Amino acid sequence: MNDLLIAKDQVRYEQKAYWRNPVAAVFTFMFPVVFLLVVGTGAGSGKIADSSLRYNQYLVVTMLVFGLISACYTNLGITLCIRRDSGVLKRIRGTPISIGSYVGGIIGSVVINVVLITLLVVGIGMVGYNLHFPYHLAAAVITLLVGVLTFSALGLAVTAIVPNGEAAPAVINGTFFPVVFISGVFYPINNESVLSEIATFFPVRHLVKGLVGAFEYGPGSGLQVRDILIMLIWAVGALVFALRKFRWEPRHR
Amino acid sequence: MANDPDIVISVKGLTKSYGNFEAVRGIDFEVRRGEVLALLGPNGAGKTTTVEILEGFHDRDSGEISVLGADPSHRDRELRAKIGIVLQACAVDPFLTVTEAITQRAGLYPSPRPVGEVVNLVGLEAKRGARIKTLSGGQQRRLDLGLALVGDPELIFLDEPTTGFDPSARRESWDLVRGLCAEGRTVVLTTHYMDEAQALANSVTVIVAGKVVASGPPDTLGGRDRGETTVRFTLPSGVTVDDLPTPLGICPRVRHHAVEFSLPDATTFLHDLTGWAVARGEALEHLTVKRPSLEDVYLSLTGELDELEELDELEELEELEELEE
Repeated sequence: MNDLLIAKDQVRYEQKAYWRNPVAAVFTFMFPVVFLLVVGTGAGSGKIADSSLRYNQYLVVTMLVFGLISACYTNLGITLCIRRDSGVLKRIRGTPISIGSYVGGIIGSVVINVVLITLLVVGIGMVGYNLHFPYHLAAAVITLLVGVLTFSALGLAVTAIVPNGEAAPAVINGTFFPVVFISGVFYPINNESVLSEIATFFPVRHLVKGLVGAFEYGPGSGLQVRDILIMLIWAVGALVFALRKFRWEPRHR
Repeated sequence: MANDPDIVISVKGLTKSYGNFEAVRGIDFEVRRGEVLALLGPNGAGKTTTVEILEGFHDRDSGEISVLGADPSHRDRELRAKIGIVLQACAVDPFLTVTEAITQRAGLYPSPRPVGEVVNLVGLEAKRGARIKTLSGGQQRRLDLGLALVGDPELIFLDEPTTGFDPSARRESWDLVRGLCAEGRTVVLTTHYMDEAQALANSVTVIVAGKVVASGPPDTLGGRDRGETTVRFTLPSGVTVDDLPTPLGICPRVRHHAVEFSLPDATTFLHDLTGWAVARGEALEHLTVKRPSLEDVYLSLTGELDELEELDELEELEELEELEE
């Protein structure tokens, strides 16, 4: 019984289950692609303020953000809530699997999804919108990894405030969309605006800024250290909350 | 106690509360290797709480428990590898197939049974490639059983395992459980079906309101073997109760035309009764002779205690009212 092998197996089954239930996959993969193709093409390659990226190139980066958060936070959170409600999580806890292998397998499957979204979205940008291959590759990879960590941790944590499986989409999408909307995911926002001030509190804005920084042309590493650190603070907070409050069983009795 | 390797489960003075609700209020029992223990009791009696503490899902408040020589609250993986669990709800990812789900589960155990063997064991050969969400309720329960058995467990917990089964599927599951015990495995079963407990259990423990009210083999539970035999038949027309050859000191109960005699030994009475009927040329319609069933004993055990509970509650209410005044 090797924990790593078991986790690898778990990744495989998670992937099978994910692609056989296309509702989650359609939203996570189709939305960024369709938005990019429709809005990106319609709005064109106009300049945006203080950036070397064109508008449609900016959208490539933010649709990557959208896909990442949808895969980590939304898909992960809703899946875990549904499994908790139906007793899958409880049942898993009655087997000799280690929690690390199980959660690791789920996160591993999420990472595969994020890699696929990245290839898809960046591919469209490079082919369609003259997007340069991530100008600061190391910064892009680090930012994506921290993004996966942060939003997976938030996906684990949010399950603790979701009362039951039916409420999961409402709670999770209800927190996801407003924050994504004010964080400049659908259109660039001015850093000095009130909206931006509010958005700065939440981690989405920092993932947007971090990834935009990595894709911008220019000197330096492209690594947005401040944004990365703020995301990490959210990640640690979410993990601590999840470790204390995560429930394996539905609220009952 | 824990030194005897034949004692698979030992529970002494187990208690567990949820907030102010005392779910388990001091339970004791033992289960020996190869035995089937049936835990019976009304809903909310504390059966599932007890079983889930033994399974390691919940911590107890107090009491000593030992499962296969270990304390389940430590949640050792070695212990979990030796235990198979069927919960009340089917709990598998609905998008996997039967074979995939069993294969995945098999991968978690040190020495699993072959997947094909388990599929056959629970009678899902025809459904091996079907996605779990397409299975009927009964088929999902059988898959649950298969998932509990794939790790080749020494001890199996079955929480209402045949709910929703058709009669023939139930019989097959019973045969399966008997086979498990013949192999020296131990089974703890909770059920609402008295015939299931009667058919499978070596030992029955009845739990009411968090306490054990009776335990023993199903045939002698609650003095069942010493209980009175009931003879019942329809009074022939034109005959009154006074005409019957009533044994001394026995008073028959009459409702409409049904007559019922309860007596410790019915042999002589039956002889007299049938002799009387034959001599008069009367037919004794609907004649039955019944020993108390497990269900009768169970109902009397749980019913009596319900009344006691109500008394307790009444007293509490009165105390509360006094306090408020």
